[in-house]
Amino acid sequence: MAGRGRGGKTGTFTAEQLAMLGCSKELPVQSAPPPTFPPVLNKPIALDTTDAESYQLQWKEKFLNRMRDSPYYVVSASTEKPKTELKDWRERALEGLKPKKEPEFNYRFMPRELNISSRKRKAAADSKPKLVAKKKTNIEDRLKLLEQKELKSGGENDNDEAKKESDSEHEDENEADPEAALDDEMDEENDYGNSYFDNGEAYNEDEDNLDDGPVY
Amino acid sequence: MSADYLHLCSVILKQCFGNVVESVANCLFSATTRTLSQIVSTTKLPRKEVCVALAVLIRFRLVSFEPSQTNPFLPEYSLRREDIIFLLRHPRYIYLMQNKYGNVGASITEELIHSGSHTHVNKVLLNCLADEDVGTANAETHRNTFLQMISDHYIIKMPELIEGDDQDESVPRFQSDECEYFRHPNIDLHLLSMISKGEASLSDSKESNMMWTLNYDRFHQDFRDAIMVDSIKRKLGDSAAECFSFILTLIYNTTDPWQRKTSNQITFMEIKQTIERKSNNLDLIKYLDQYISLLTDDSLGFLRKVGDMGNGQYLVDMERAFESLAFACIESVITERFGSKAARIFRVIRFKKFIEQEDLQKEAMIPAKEAKSLAYNLFQEQFIHVKVIKKPGGGSNGPAKAFYLYQVKQKDTVRMLLDISFKALYNAIERSSYEKFEHKGLIDKSQRLDAIVETMRERGESDEFIAEIMETFTPPECEILKKVKNRIQALSKAELTLDNSIFLLQMYQHHCTTLPTSIQKFK
Repeated sequence: MAGRGRGGKTGTFTAEQLAMLGCSKELPVQSAPPPTFPPVLNKPIALDTTDAESYQLQWKEKFLNRMRDSPYYVVSASTEKPKTELKDWRERALEGLKPKKEPEFNYRFMPRELNISSRKRKAAADSKPKLVAKKKTNIEDRLKLLEQKELKSGGENDNDEAKKESDSEHEDENEADPEAALDDEMDEENDYGNSYFDNGEAYNEDEDNLDDGPVY
Repeated sequence: MSADYLHLCSVILKQCFGNVVESVANCLFSATTRTLSQIVSTTKLPRKEVCVALAVLIRFRLVSFEPSQTNPFLPEYSLRREDIIFLLRHPRYIYLMQNKYGNVGASITEELIHSGSHTHVNKVLLNCLADEDVGTANAETHRNTFLQMISDHYIIKMPELIEGDDQDESVPRFQSDECEYFRHPNIDLHLLSMISKGEASLSDSKESNMMWTLNYDRFHQDFRDAIMVDSIKRKLGDSAAECFSFILTLIYNTTDPWQRKTSNQITFMEIKQTIERKSNNLDLIKYLDQYISLLTDDSLGFLRKVGDMGNGQYLVDMERAFESLAFACIESVITERFGSKAARIFRVIRFKKFIEQEDLQKEAMIPAKEAKSLAYNLFQEQFIHVKVIKKPGGGSNGPAKAFYLYQVKQKDTVRMLLDISFKALYNAIERSSYEKFEHKGLIDKSQRLDAIVETMRERGESDEFIAEIMETFTPPECEILKKVKNRIQALSKAELTLDNSIFLLQMYQHHCTTLPTSIQKFK
């Protein structure tokens, strides 16, 4: 049979090969993982610390402390919370005295998507004036229109026209802000493919073509 | 990249930048490139935290990005895996600069390490001079040292940002010009003093787009040379070591420092002229020819004679040098773990290339049983390998005859030892963190007590009162703290020693193999 026989290298020895190498006694079968801290057979020699090493060790300790206190030491908010709950009032007061700086990044040298703060600010700045403007224009226009229509002719047709105009206004708004329209569409959280339509004609199409033979 | 290296990188990043950066780096480690949304979905961290972690990694040159092939507006991030271990070498970089340029050089290097890669030269100098007077001779010393470090290639200019229209900014593009890497920036001391007084801003500088960072390859070149010179000093003495260091500086005039196998050739006359001009060692000048022949005849094989032109042509054989040094390191590891007889067996197998069990015990002059046991131990730990040669024939008469020959697969052995070193380094860092965590209360208490005592001394309190305060730290606590401190110190020292071994083995991989290594000129 193909793929059997001698095959490739297994990387281990057979009993016969071990006997040839002089290791005839049976190897112990390992049934559990080895201990985390096995006993040290040969105690390593303690090396002398040179001046260079002591300088480097001191600097390293300082460097790690500085990094831990720096704003670039990012700790997940989920892991930070329980710790603060356990701390007593003195530690919390001490932490309050020396607040951690916010990290400063030169976002010009990084992809734009990483700069979350600017994106938020931009979005907030865009949305606010729009809301105010909408309200103002809507009320004034609406009132003027209603006044004019009341003066001209009172009747049922007026309401229909007002409706039409307000609809056209909404359409204009959507056209002016395509991103907002896209957002509305996304907000619905609907994974239904609008462009997809199946009239059911293709159902069981495969089964009709029996002449082609079975499909594997 | 091995799993051991992944664990090591993970623990180093956690130590320096916290657990969010560690998770993001782990996610990037397992793939060539990933987009932001892929990282967010894999790590299950908030998008904001992932963005900050990526920004930190980019700032410290541990992650690079480029536009996706399918969508040029979408950046893909990749981890610079080989560079993560450089975070452990920072103390060595600082020490080297301290020796070469004094405190000013060390302070500039420290500032460049802490501020990452996106820092303007003026800001670096201002941070160095934070507690001192700007605009005096002190600032000039800092400027001159900075420029000297650029001339010596320890500091390199980052690729410049290409200013484009708004759409291009989604993935910034950079251009690098090899001629510009070490061009001196225009550092205006007057502007520097104005910035420090708040009368001008950093953007007023003409070259505000030029960012500077450490050139790790240059530091590693010095470490590599130091390994070679030190080994000659131990074996052949100070004068031979001085001679070899002059040879190295001479070859760098004509050879790329990271040329893999051998250097370009230099003549005896060139060496002689350089040493006569620059050295004060009369012994070396007088017996130069003998020192050169000592270096060429030595078994280490650092220097090789290749011709007779100009009183002899020589080259530095990097491949042979690092093979000798790496195997000296491996033999010492075997001696410490299995004893000197095992080291002898390893040496015999290496020199014979292929050897049978029976011949091995004769060559090594070790009793048969002991030789078998030691050889098996070495085989089990993968320091040596077995090649099976089967004799054709045999048929149905019985099993085919086979020869079992011991051999040393050099590259595999080095790679295995490198993995063991990564694992040991990981264990040392983990154990050190564990000790710190277990005795956190005691360490904090001692630090607080030290601070109180210091303040009391400054205030001029009586010694009796200070001693009373000191007694709050009980003798058993003192003893435990002393033990813990000693243990942490020993582990930190082990980290430095292990990193030295790792560096040596990585140099072997660079000079003796064709594998891609962390050395990339002007990356």
